[in-house]
Amino acid sequence: MSSEIAAGPVEQPQPAVERLHVADLHAPADAILSVRDLNVRFNTENGVVHAVRGVDFDLMPGKTLGIVGESGSGKSVTSLAIMGLLPTTAEVSGSVRLKGKELLGLSDKAMCEYRGNELAMVFQDPLSSLTPVYTVGNQIIEALTIHNPTMSKQAKEARAVQLLAMVGIPSPKERLRAFPHEFSGGMRQRVMIAIAIANNPRVLIADEPTTALDVTIQAQVLEVLHTAQEETGAAVVMITHDLGVVAGMADDIMVMYAGRPVETGAVDDIYYNPRMPYTMGLLGAVPRVDVAEKSSLVPIEGMPPNLIHTPTGCSFAPRCPLASDACLEGEPALAPVAGPAAHRAACIKSGSLGGDVDVHDVFAAPPVPVSRFDAIPREERSTVLQLKDVRKHFPLNKGALLKRRIGTVKAVDGLSFDIREGECFSIVGESGSGKTTTLLEIMEFHKDQDGEVVIGGISNKQAADGKTRSAMRRELQMVFQDPTGALDPRFTVYEVLAEPLENAGMNKADTKKRIMELMKLVGLQPDHVNRFPNQFSGGQRQRIGIARALAVNPKLVVLDEPVSALDVSVQAGVINLLDKLRAELGLSYLLVAHDLSVVRHISNRVAVMYLGKIVEIGEVDRVFDNPRHPYTRALLSAIPVPDPHLERTRERIILQGDLPSPLGTPKGCNFATRCPVFAALPAAKQEKCLTLEPPLEHVAPSPAAQTLAADPLPALDQRFACFFPDGELDEDMLVVHESADHHAP
Amino acid sequence: MTNLNAVDPAAVAQDAHLESADVVIGKNTIIFRRFMRNKTAVAGLAIFLTLTVFSFVGGYFTQWDKQTIDPFNIGMPPSAEHYLGTSQAGIDLYAMTVEGTRISILIGLIVGLVSVLVAAVYGCTMAYFGGKVDKVMLFILEALIMMPALLVVAVATSGGGEGLRRDLPSWLLLIIVLLVFSWMGTARLIRSLSMSLMQRDFVKAAQYMGVPARRIVWRHLVPNIGSLLVLDITRGVTGAILAEVAFSFIGIGIKVPDVSLGVLIGGATSQVQTFPWMFWVPLTVMFLLTGSLAMMNDGLRDAFDPSSSSSGSAKKRTALKARVKGNAS
Repeated sequence: MSSEIAAGPVEQPQPAVERLHVADLHAPADAILSVRDLNVRFNTENGVVHAVRGVDFDLMPGKTLGIVGESGSGKSVTSLAIMGLLPTTAEVSGSVRLKGKELLGLSDKAMCEYRGNELAMVFQDPLSSLTPVYTVGNQIIEALTIHNPTMSKQAKEARAVQLLAMVGIPSPKERLRAFPHEFSGGMRQRVMIAIAIANNPRVLIADEPTTALDVTIQAQVLEVLHTAQEETGAAVVMITHDLGVVAGMADDIMVMYAGRPVETGAVDDIYYNPRMPYTMGLLGAVPRVDVAEKSSLVPIEGMPPNLIHTPTGCSFAPRCPLASDACLEGEPALAPVAGPAAHRAACIKSGSLGGDVDVHDVFAAPPVPVSRFDAIPREERSTVLQLKDVRKHFPLNKGALLKRRIGTVKAVDGLSFDIREGECFSIVGESGSGKTTTLLEIMEFHKDQDGEVVIGGISNKQAADGKTRSAMRRELQMVFQDPTGALDPRFTVYEVLAEPLENAGMNKADTKKRIMELMKLVGLQPDHVNRFPNQFSGGQRQRIGIARALAVNPKLVVLDEPVSALDVSVQAGVINLLDKLRAELGLSYLLVAHDLSVVRHISNRVAVMYLGKIVEIGEVDRVFDNPRHPYTRALLSAIPVPDPHLERTRERIILQGDLPSPLGTPKGCNFATRCPVFAALPAAKQEKCLTLEPPLEHVAPSPAAQTLAADPLPALDQRFACFFPDGELDEDMLVVHESADHHAP
Repeated sequence: MTNLNAVDPAAVAQDAHLESADVVIGKNTIIFRRFMRNKTAVAGLAIFLTLTVFSFVGGYFTQWDKQTIDPFNIGMPPSAEHYLGTSQAGIDLYAMTVEGTRISILIGLIVGLVSVLVAAVYGCTMAYFGGKVDKVMLFILEALIMMPALLVVAVATSGGGEGLRRDLPSWLLLIIVLLVFSWMGTARLIRSLSMSLMQRDFVKAAQYMGVPARRIVWRHLVPNIGSLLVLDITRGVTGAILAEVAFSFIGIGIKVPDVSLGVLIGGATSQVQTFPWMFWVPLTVMFLLTGSLAMMNDGLRDAFDPSSSSSGSAKKRTALKARVKGNAS
C-alpha cells in the first residue's frame, strides 16, 4: 500500500531512480519527509475512532504538498502525528521518516530536538498561539535559544530582527519589544511564521494558516509563506479546506476523505483532470468569484462516514452518485490512473472519469431556480427594507477614574441602501468594516437610533409599542453564522421550530403542521424533529436555523455569514437551498459575508464596506467584473481561485498593513492609508484624497455606449466613492508570480 | 446482562432507529457513563443512598424511639437490646441517630435544592436584564452577604421570634434561616455564567423572535447552566449539613426534643471519656454523610466537564472492550 507523490516536473524524463521508486515500497533517498502507512486511533465515548487510515507520501525538498479535505477527514491529525503532538491517549502506528530517521516512537524529549528545528509548524489560530505575557522578540529568541544554546545574545537579537523583516513587519527593531496584543491577527500570523522558520526548518507544516484571517490579510500571509519557503528552501505541507488557497502554491495535492488519501497527484492533474468523484464534487462545490454565469453548485449529499466502523466498501460510496454494487466490495486502493505516473486515485471507476466529464451531470446539480420577481424590473418591486443615513458611533474613552473621550469609533457611518422584493443584497468587507454592526442596528430596531430603518413599511421612528415591534419581527428574521451556537443545545428540533410559532400565538395543531412543512421545505426528514441539535451535522443544523427563520413567513431574512462555518461540500447544499427558497417563497435576503465567491454566486446587488462606509455599491456582476474603487479591486484580486494556471499568472494587489485604528483615520478618504492608487499619485492629487471625502457617484456609461445611443442613457446600477478610480496602481503593492518556479505540465 | 435472546419487536425497531443515529449518544448517557466510571463517586453515591434509606426505615428495627427512656439501661454501652447503647438519660442512641440522620439529610437536601433554585432564578434574572435591575439586585445580594448570619440564626432560634418558634418545629425554622443566607455565592457565580450565555446566538435568536424576557430566562438560561446547578446542589447539601451541625453544636440550631447529628455531637462532647459511643457514633455518621457527598462531587465534576479525559486511552479501551465482548457472548 505504498503511494508516493513524486514531486517535480512530470514531463521531464524521469530519472531511473525515481522510476524504480514508483514500484518500490521504499521512500526515495532524497525525500526530506516520507510517511508510510500512518494510522491514528482515538478513543471516544462511542468507541475507537480510526481517524487516519494509511496515509503515505513523500515530500521532496523545497516542494509544497497541499493536503485538502473536509473537516474530520484527518488532515490536522496527520500533521499532529508527524509533529508528535497528539495526546498520549492516541495510538499512532506506521512510519514517519525525516531525512531517513524514524520519528514515530521517539520520546517527547527526543522529539523536541526536531520540533521547531527541522520540523516546524504554523497553526491556524494566530490569536491564541502566542503567549500574551512575553514580547514577540522574546518568543522568537526563545525558539532560537532552545536549538542554538551557544548563540550569543546579540546574534539572536539580530537574527530575530532579520526574521521579522523577512516576514514583512515594518520597523522590526522596535516591534521586537511589542507584545502580541499590539499586533493584529495577520501580523501575529507573520510572527508565528517567523518563529517557525527561525531555525531554517527542512519541513514546514502549515495547518490552515489563513483560515482565521480576512482575504486581504490572507493574501499577505500567503505571500509571506511563499517568501519564507524561498528563503529557507523548506518543504511545505499546506493543510487547508480551501481549494483556492493551495491552487497557486502547491506542487502536489493529496485529497483526503474519511482518514484516507483518495486522490494524489500533481496540482494540475488534480484540478483539471480529477479522477475521483469526491475530488470532482469538491471542485464543483466551490463558487467562483471570477465566473458570472449562473449555475447551481454541486452539492455532495450526506455526511462523511463514521470512522468508528471500519468501512467495508469505498468510504465515499454512500455519497457518490456513481456508486454501484462493485463499490461496496472492499475499499479501493490508491491506484495509478492513466496519464501522468504520479497521479493516483482510489476509485474503481477512475478510468471513465477525467477532465472532460461535467461534474454537474455526475452530481445531478439542481436546475437554477427562477423567481417570479426576476422578470419584474427592480424599480417596480416594492421595498422591503430601507436604511436612511444610519449611523452608529461608539465613544472611545481613556482613563480609569475620570473618563476622557479621546475619539469616536465610527462603526457605521451614514449608511443608506434599500432592498426590493425577491432580491439578495450583500454587504462585503474585511472584519472591522462595520458589516455586523449594520445588521445589529437593523435587528435592534430602536426608536432612538441615529437614522431611519424602514422594514416592510414600518419605520423604527414609530416603533414605540410592542405591537408594531412584533409586527416588524414577523417581517424580518435572522440566520446566524454559527449553526451550533444559534440552537439551544437543550431544545429538540421541534421545540426550536415551535418557539417562534408559539410566540406568534399559533395553536398546537397548526404548529405541528407548520413544523412538518418547514422540515420538508429545508430538506430535512420530518421524523427527525425529536432529535437534539447535536445529533445533526453542521449543514443540517444550518438548515434548522433557516427553517426557524422561515417559520413565521418573513419577507426579509438577514443572513449573517450563513455558510462560513460549513464545509465546502455542505456549503454548496445550503447555498442551493437559499437560492431555491428565494425563488419559491419570494424572499429577500440581506447577506453579510466575507467570502466574495459566495456573494457573487447568490446575490443580485452588493455593497462593499470599508470602515463603516459604503465605498462601492451596485449590481453584483457590474461591481465584480468592472470594479471601480481601488478597495474593491484589491479585495477581488485577493480571492484565491481554484484554478492553478490562473492563480500563477494572476496580478494580485497586496494591500499594505491592516485596517487603520479608528483614531488614525484620515479626514478625507478612509482608504487613503492603504490605497494602492493613492500611493502612486502625485502629491497635489494626494492632497485632495486626504482632505475631501469622496461622495458615492454613479458610474457613467462608457463613451462608446453613449455615442451609440440616441437618448442619454440612464445611469448604471453601480456607484462608488473614489476621486481617481483610473489612477495607476503602486508597483510595490502588485505581485505577479512568474511561472518560472513552477513547471506546468 | 439482560437476556438478549428474547426478541422484542419494539426493541428491534428501537435498535434500527438507533442504528442510524449511532454517532450520537445522549448527553445524559455520557454523563451517566462518566460518573459510573469514577469508582469513588459511585461508592459515595452508594453510601449516601444507604444512609438515606437507613434514616427512613432504620426506626423499624428497634422498639425504642427518641423520647422513651429506658430506666434500666442508663448510660449503657452498645448491647443486644440497645444496638448503639443509651444516653445518660436512658434514651436509645440508635433511635436518636436514625432520627438525627433523617433531620440532617432533610435539612441538607431542602436547603441545597431550594437555595440553588433561588440562586439560579435570581442570577439569571440579573444577567438577563442587566443595567439598573442588575445593580439593585446586586446591592440586595451584597447586603445579605454582609449580614452576620450567625447572629440572625441565634436570634431567630433562641432569642427573639417567640411566635415563630411556637408555630414551627425548630428544624423547619433552621431550614428557613439557612436558606436565606445560603444562596448568594451561587447566585453571583450564576450571574457571571449567564452573562456569557447571553452572548450566545440562541439567546439573541430568541430575542429577535420577540420571545418575552421571562421565557428566555426560564427556557434558555436556566437549563443551560444545569451542570453547574447539579454540582452546586451537592455542594450546597454538604454545606447545609455542616452548618446545621455547627449551629446545633453551639446550641443555637435544632432544639431538644428535636434531634439532629449536631445536637448529638454537641451534647456528647463533654462526655467523650465516659460515654465514648455517644460521641463517636453520630460523628461517624456525619463523616459518612458529608464524605460521601464530597466523593460524589468529584465524580460529578468529571462527568460534566467536557474536557475531562475520563474516556481513557485508545489502547486501554480496545482491550477492555474485547474483554467485555468476550464476557457477553
